[in-house]
Amino acid sequence: MIPPAKTTPSTNGFPPPRLASARRATFFVLVLLGTGLGTWLMSTFVAADGKWRWAEIGLLLTFVPLYYQLNCGFWTALIGVWLQNQAKSDPTDLWQTISHEPPDAPLTASTAIVIPVYNEDVTRVWEGLRVTYQSLVKTGQIQHFDFFVLSDSDDTNKWIEEETAWLELSRQLGAFGKIFYRKRRKPINRKSGNVSDFCRRWGKRYRYMIVFDADSLMSGSLMVAMTRIMENNPRVGILQTFPKQVASETLLGRLMQFAQSLYGPAFMAGLNYWQNGEANFWGHNAIIRLEPFINHCALPPLPKTVPFGGHILSHDFVEAALMRKAGYAVRLLNTNRGSYEEGPPSLIDTLKRDRRWCQGNMQHFWLLFAKGWHPMSRFNFGHGVLSYVSSPLWLLFLIFSTVLAKFPDLDRLSPAVNAGQLLLVLTGVLIFMPKTIILIDELFTGRLFKPMKLRFMTFIGSVMDTFIFTLMAPVMMWFHSKFVFKIVLGQGVKWVAQRRKLEGVDWREAILTFGEVTLLGLAWGAISWWVGSTFMLWMAPIVVSMVLAIPIAIWLGSGQSGLSWGLFLTPEELEPPSVLSDLQDNLAEVKGRLQMPPEIEKSYGLMQVCLDPYVNGLHVSLLRRRNVKDTREYLDEIAERLVKTGPQGMKPVEINAIMNDADTVTALHHRLWAAGEEELAPFWSLAIKQYNLAATHPFAHLLANKESVPQTM
Amino acid sequence: MDAVDVKFAPATGTDQEWNEAYGRLADYFRAYRLHNRLRRTELVLEALRRAAETHAKDPSKKPVFYALEHARAMQREWLNGIYSNLSMTEPQVEASGRLGFYLAGGPTRWPQHFMSTKECPPEMVEAMQLAIRTSGPRLQISKMTPRSMDLGLTHTVEDAVDRFGKQPWARYVILAVFVVAVVGYVYHLLR
Repeated sequence: MIPPAKTTPSTNGFPPPRLASARRATFFVLVLLGTGLGTWLMSTFVAADGKWRWAEIGLLLTFVPLYYQLNCGFWTALIGVWLQNQAKSDPTDLWQTISHEPPDAPLTASTAIVIPVYNEDVTRVWEGLRVTYQSLVKTGQIQHFDFFVLSDSDDTNKWIEEETAWLELSRQLGAFGKIFYRKRRKPINRKSGNVSDFCRRWGKRYRYMIVFDADSLMSGSLMVAMTRIMENNPRVGILQTFPKQVASETLLGRLMQFAQSLYGPAFMAGLNYWQNGEANFWGHNAIIRLEPFINHCALPPLPKTVPFGGHILSHDFVEAALMRKAGYAVRLLNTNRGSYEEGPPSLIDTLKRDRRWCQGNMQHFWLLFAKGWHPMSRFNFGHGVLSYVSSPLWLLFLIFSTVLAKFPDLDRLSPAVNAGQLLLVLTGVLIFMPKTIILIDELFTGRLFKPMKLRFMTFIGSVMDTFIFTLMAPVMMWFHSKFVFKIVLGQGVKWVAQRRKLEGVDWREAILTFGEVTLLGLAWGAISWWVGSTFMLWMAPIVVSMVLAIPIAIWLGSGQSGLSWGLFLTPEELEPPSVLSDLQDNLAEVKGRLQMPPEIEKSYGLMQVCLDPYVNGLHVSLLRRRNVKDTREYLDEIAERLVKTGPQGMKPVEINAIMNDADTVTALHHRLWAAGEEELAPFWSLAIKQYNLAATHPFAHLLANKESVPQTM
Repeated sequence: MDAVDVKFAPATGTDQEWNEAYGRLADYFRAYRLHNRLRRTELVLEALRRAAETHAKDPSKKPVFYALEHARAMQREWLNGIYSNLSMTEPQVEASGRLGFYLAGGPTRWPQHFMSTKECPPEMVEAMQLAIRTSGPRLQISKMTPRSMDLGLTHTVEDAVDRFGKQPWARYVILAVFVVAVVGYVYHLLR
């Protein structure tokens, strides 16, 4: 007999209210004390004579939010380390609610795993799906899960590749009716619109939805456990795991995953301590209760006329706030293994991602003033805004500092000097102590690695990552400041596919991107020298980082990642979980499989759908028929142009229009095969001759050949 | 050695044109992954024979066009026979039918029955009918509409921005005041 589930007392998923209040009060009192002390020291330092100049006021105004942010990070980490070292488990830990349940007890709910994609690496997405599926099969609970790949891809080649990969993977796994593929014709409201569209169409069929990013990876056992936790805690609306960054190949990627592995668990524990039932949703690697999500979490549009208004880009924070507003908890689940993601490989890719996130977070500013939020949701919005606004604040702080250094208060008294020295020490403690304590904790406890040699290497890695992140910080500050200003001035972001793998950063790209930072660094260096030699020394770390931005970017995006020296190792690199090792094996099998002339390979999907009778049949079968009487003439005209000029002579929007009409795609297939040589563009002549030689199998070129069901062929 | 008796002798079109038609048909049927070469050859010859008849009546189009048109017609006829008991439109039969043949393992299991005018084996028909796929399960439509939200101060800002936008000179005034203030302050520090 299964013992009754142990839920958190009388809360069904919310931490006990008194405990939650006490924790939150403790945290914010500590943060405010730290901020207050810092502000007092700063005001004593800059305005010792009691007279306030404008630059001094500006300096203090920029200092306060920066110091608040610094304190939040410091106390979150410290509390996290303290919690990690408690002998008794945290009473709010949701894992306890399923601890008495046998791991193989049947699930009682159906769950959809949804994977929104936009022009992603098709092989990575579908091989990721394969290992996740197989991991669920091993749990014996696969019958309770369905997979949905929700595509908004507007690159025709990617679209066709997604379709062929869907068919082939479903065939190999015998998973027709378990894995579904849906492509939207118009990507309304981007990713959030894609997920909402799923909810409208199929949401009622499932009790839960686990949202993946295109690069997410989760183990079956974790997903089953998450479903059990949701079943045992009916007031939890969103349960967010801690996705660990894995599979990086560049220095930056490995640094990020090392830092996340080493410092992340303590920060997660600390966050959980003060966020309680009002945590954040990070957009993926989380399970969501669908009924309240559908009923309460549709995103309200922001007024278009306000700066950076319109459609909400960073939907996750808002959905978490809406879920909490509806009376459901949003919880963090302390997960050390089983939830993974990949990160950007280079500094440029990181900045591209940050540009998007920045606009999304800035939009939350307008939601701060909306009525009905839980107060913690407002804090979450505020912290999100501050995470990017802090960069221009830091920039202004440095500008004010430069001005004040040039025009110092001549009658600065000893209390002011003492306050300045104290503030310097305190700031150093706030910046470096969390990492130091976490590192000491690791050296003593060996949470990451048991062998002493590896703990020592972790120590070396930590020192180096501090140095490298210090070099990166001024560059990030400059770009984030630019992003904030551009967004305020109304320059929106484009939706672009993310690059997730090492492709290298060339010098030209780096010079074009970071040249301005180098010039700024040189200029600031000159000004600092003009201000005085002591000030120049103070500014040296920032100035040097800026001047060296170009080589730093190249270095960070390179494959010289320290792996061969045993640096920045993570547990996932030493002992990869089966989902990760299986994925890497499969990706290695597929790599370099397609060998065609470059012009053909570039348009391989398009060529397949036009020439291959099976791929054409698949594509047409998946299209919804619609009435195109009004556009028939136009579609015929552009289809004929595609035959005569090849894809090079077409705009992407024209190719997309063709591909969205079943009759045109069918006719195009026959038109191409029935055309005389002189009617065809050189592309098609070559494609017809090469296709049968290159593609011995119409669907298998993108995926590993890992048949798991008996095949008819 | 006896002379070869050439039976395919179209009345119209050049050798070059018929060679082009032959080559294209051969590529077309290879794209079906029919590894049974005999069957492919039979199909090529049959499509050429039909094309030659049509071309003789109307030589305005090239043989390659007629050859592929007949190949398509032969396929439609064959698929209509297999999917006759399902309520599908002709374009659906044509697209899904091709895919159904592939998924049922037709190219290797029943190559000799591909586009056959004779009755196909019942297990092949059944497999092809079963193999037709759709991309999602049956819909269960829900409503997901945003609830109205009082954005508070944001609405006030929206109104202000609206009004502000109607008076572009105001922006320049604010910009000018800002620039003058910064320049004035720097002057104050430097004097």
